[in-house]
Amino acid sequence: MKKNNTLYAYLMSSPAMLVLTVLSVFPLLFILWYSLTDYYYLSTRPPQFVLFDNYIKLFKDRYFMQALGNTLRFTALAVLFEVTLGLMVAVLVKSFKRGQEVLRTVTLLPTLLPPVTVALIWQIMLSNNYGLINSLLGLFGLGPVSWLTDVNTAFYAILVIDIWQYTPFAFLLLYAAMQGIPQGQYEAASIDGAGKWAQFHYVTMPNIFHNVVMVTLLRVIDTFRLFDKVNILTKGGPANTTATITQYIYHNGVNMFKVGYASAASVVMTLIILFLAAGYIRQNFKARERAQKR
Amino acid sequence: MKKALSLLLALVMVGALASAALAEQPAKLVIAARGGSHVDVINAVKAQFEQENNCVIEVLGLENPDLKQKIALDSRNAAGAYDIVMLDDPWMPEVTEAGMLLNLTEQGYADDADFVPTSLALGKAPYGAGDTFALPFSGNVTLLFYNADVLASVDAQVPDSWQGALDIAKAVNGKDGKVGYVIRGQQGNPIVGDFMPVLWAYGGDVFDADWNVIVDSQEAKDALNLYIQLLENGANYEKNDIVSSVADGKAAMSLGWPSWYISGKASTAGYAKIPGKVNADSPENPAGMIGNWLMGVPKNTRNPELAVKLLTFLTSAETQRAAAPSGAVPTRTSVFTDPDLSKEYPFYATLLAATEASRERPRTPLWGDIENVFGIELSNAISGIKSVDDALADAKAAIEDIVK
Repeated sequence: MKKNNTLYAYLMSSPAMLVLTVLSVFPLLFILWYSLTDYYYLSTRPPQFVLFDNYIKLFKDRYFMQALGNTLRFTALAVLFEVTLGLMVAVLVKSFKRGQEVLRTVTLLPTLLPPVTVALIWQIMLSNNYGLINSLLGLFGLGPVSWLTDVNTAFYAILVIDIWQYTPFAFLLLYAAMQGIPQGQYEAASIDGAGKWAQFHYVTMPNIFHNVVMVTLLRVIDTFRLFDKVNILTKGGPANTTATITQYIYHNGVNMFKVGYASAASVVMTLIILFLAAGYIRQNFKARERAQKR
Repeated sequence: MKKALSLLLALVMVGALASAALAEQPAKLVIAARGGSHVDVINAVKAQFEQENNCVIEVLGLENPDLKQKIALDSRNAAGAYDIVMLDDPWMPEVTEAGMLLNLTEQGYADDADFVPTSLALGKAPYGAGDTFALPFSGNVTLLFYNADVLASVDAQVPDSWQGALDIAKAVNGKDGKVGYVIRGQQGNPIVGDFMPVLWAYGGDVFDADWNVIVDSQEAKDALNLYIQLLENGANYEKNDIVSSVADGKAAMSLGWPSWYISGKASTAGYAKIPGKVNADSPENPAGMIGNWLMGVPKNTRNPELAVKLLTFLTSAETQRAAAPSGAVPTRTSVFTDPDLSKEYPFYATLLAATEASRERPRTPLWGDIENVFGIELSNAISGIKSVDDALADAKAAIEDIVK
């Protein structure tokens, strides 16, 4: 009977497994293989096996290391601000007695826009000549500031744009999680004399902590792939201060057709994301094991 | 017997109809083109060729990176999807080295002396002297753009040297909130494209004749120092801001591509050939950067003869004349100097002179990588992150790393 059930489970999951194998496992294996070759798409000779040459070259390339550093710094700052602000907005919106639905919808708008549109909107707003932000600064006798070409401001300009776009995403998930907290817990805390901060600390946070970790992880994975805004607004400059790993991969793989080298950079990027996500994945597996034991 | 005869007759009729239908089936030619005005130009002139050659021409308009990718990916197929491809001229070394294009010279194509020599040379491999693999479809060369009122406000003439341009920038900058000179200092292709004319005017280059990297030469250092001085007496904007600031009289000068400012008869700014001299006494070097769109026939086309014929048609003087109202920039001397067209498009004379005195970007398949690292180091220099000497030394090291 048990054997039949197992066979049935395998049969039922086989289409999904097949799709997963074709769309994820094979490409991943190909990328791993290509990363060990000198595959150049336009070459007339077949790719040669070069072992770890691409990886060695990658870590010797100061522009790659700079892009890696920028990406890590950008991800850390963007995710920190997005999750913190998202949480604050979620608490704020939840505290409103009226208009939660309207606020929820309006707040979400930036996240619904494609990154390319967001980049173009901000390019116009940050323009030196006719940009809204420099015009406002001009009213106070300040500026104009070359937001996207000044080495002191470009990185932070992109950071602000990303935070503007994705804070609502964090807000939505955390706000949804807060809806699941039993009202009774707040009432009990209130009877025990807990103030607003104590309620947030001892009721809200323990209930949504798992969601905060999940939102953080999702944002880390997504922010690590930052590309469109940089490609449109700064092209990685000025002085390579906004260059990202994805942009580096795109240049080498798509512009220059260096498939082997770009694959090595992609493998490095995937490993970093896996490393960052490992804690969460481990925690998830443990939680599932605990649930199965119960 | 009757039935058999009727069946035979029916079969013969069906067969005849089918073969007639097949015989009249027009050939289909697909052009992978750069999107925008180029597509309009081809669509405006293609009907005549379709009629004369019983074919249908489909034009696919693609964005720049997409176009390169699609051409490259298709080149590895046994039977290609495209019969003619448009190519940005710096791609030529890559595509010819990869054997992607049909050798037009081997197909019997004889060079047409009517093409501006600097344009025709771009389609040859090796550059300038080899066989012809692509023909110049759309001309372009960077020019100096200026606001005449702003120049007049400081009693200045259009500069013919870079020192002259700097003097004007110094006189204008800060006066009534105006900007002296606008550089296009965005990292990568923009800053390299904006700086190369200055570098060439100073007699510098990226490589010497033996392909040694010379970006740290004294000429290059002087050119970059001047470029930084121009920035100090101006601003660093992206393309749209450059165009609006010069056109609106907020800035005096910038370099740029003609299409940014010129449309038909009208131009939103004054234009002139880019100065090729350092100062009034120095020798004149070609300094404008040529940037033609070429057309070639992929090796794996299904219709090689018809495709070559179409290519010749699309780049002919008649077609370039007919396409002028659609915004096409010619590549032929006879079209540039056509009296009627010159009256209609007064910028043709300046454009022809600038094209004849233009320079091409280094002809190497590695140019994309070189441009990338050179752009980073130029950006380091203008941002003050590195000194001019350090930035150019690092650029040299990085470029040598790429070409070794």
